[in-house]
Amino acid sequence: MSDNRVRTALHWLLGAWLVLVIAAAFFWAPAAAGFKGESSRIVFFHVPQAWVAVLAFCVNLIASLRYLRTRDPLDDARAAAAARLGLVFSLLATVTGSIFAHVMWNSFWNWDPREISIAILLLIYAAYFALREAVPDEERRASLSAAYAILAFVTMPFLVFVVPRIYWSLHPDTIIGATGKLKMQMDPRMLQTLFASLVGFTGLFFWLYTLDVRLARVRLARQAREEA
Amino acid sequence: MRASSLLSESLAVLGKELTSEVRSRVALNAIGLFGITTLVVVAYQIGPYQIQEKDRPYLLSALLWVILFFAATSGLARVFVKEEDAHTAKTLRLAARPLAVFAGKYLFNLILLAALFTLIVPLYCALMGYEVRGLAGLALVLAAGAVALSASSTIVAAIISRASGSTTLFAILSVPLVLPLLVMLIQGTRAAAGSVELAAVLPALQGIVSLGGALLIVSVFLFPVVWHE
Repeated sequence: MSDNRVRTALHWLLGAWLVLVIAAAFFWAPAAAGFKGESSRIVFFHVPQAWVAVLAFCVNLIASLRYLRTRDPLDDARAAAAARLGLVFSLLATVTGSIFAHVMWNSFWNWDPREISIAILLLIYAAYFALREAVPDEERRASLSAAYAILAFVTMPFLVFVVPRIYWSLHPDTIIGATGKLKMQMDPRMLQTLFASLVGFTGLFFWLYTLDVRLARVRLARQAREEA
Repeated sequence: MRASSLLSESLAVLGKELTSEVRSRVALNAIGLFGITTLVVVAYQIGPYQIQEKDRPYLLSALLWVILFFAATSGLARVFVKEEDAHTAKTLRLAARPLAVFAGKYLFNLILLAALFTLIVPLYCALMGYEVRGLAGLALVLAAGAVALSASSTIVAAIISRASGSTTLFAILSVPLVLPLLVMLIQGTRAAAGSVELAAVLPALQGIVSLGGALLIVSVFLFPVVWHE
């Protein structure tokens, strides 16, 4: 089977998987007790979006480290692609979190430590692109933004794991609890839907990421041809 | 032998910065005047009596760090921007190793921050009626904060000096990096103000030292990349 056929098959599989996740989120998994109405169903979309935002940050770090070692412009394109998707998914996680907060506590924004964490993640992504825009020279842009991405990654464990656990939070308990142990107190159908959604969103991220990197590869090849 | 020459190079860079600052006093004037102006505005408009008793620990510690951070932002970026503006960066690259340049500039920023804290914190306490019960705890929080803020400011200053629109970019790049640090500094200051026990500031201090230490170590490794680009 050619690469194109495998790719097409994987795209169809991803599409079907996400359709099933959406159907399971609304019709198969039960609504969680202790939440207003059907509001808990947002967890099947909000948690994977936040997970992908953090995953994108990690991919951005790996690509940035690779760039500083190899100086390959494609690694810089990989880092930028991951950051672009990270920005979109952290924005989506913020919006879905705000909608949930409004339903539960009648307020879109409560200055909760987790809200602050995702807002700072958004600011870091925005600052990363502000830096890229401010450097016209491509090589310098790649090096400086890689350095900033690595520096910003240092703050991430504090944002994601330390600050939300130091301060009192309205946010429902996370799957990985304050003690670092996995918490599996959800209904099995909810848990299955959540994990299926995490897999689906991770697949969606890698599909979009691959598309962006392929575009960058074409652009770089054309640039190389023009310079030759 | 190598370590001692690195130390002497770092001290030479620090000496150059101090001499240049004594001549021009641009950074010192910028952060000092920015700090005092902001403090006067805050003290005039809010003062010691406008805040309710229950809100005082929260508001006073937060306001103090808002003044300190934004005053610092106005001067700390200059360490590398002035080298690019004066076209002396290339000479400095030839004259000293990257680590020595970073160490010298880092120490200079640390001294600037120490001067700012020494000037603003007592004035703030006096003008805002801020009673700090744990002076030793506050001194520790300020010292750890200066070490961490100086690390992040020095590396961000190096990054932005290589980009266009430097001064505005400094705040854009710095704020997301130091926000978790500022949150812990505010919490530590609040704890120091409320208790004479050093144990009260320890949780915040652990976070500040960890984040500051991580930022400093990563900055040391990243600086040659930024400096030689």
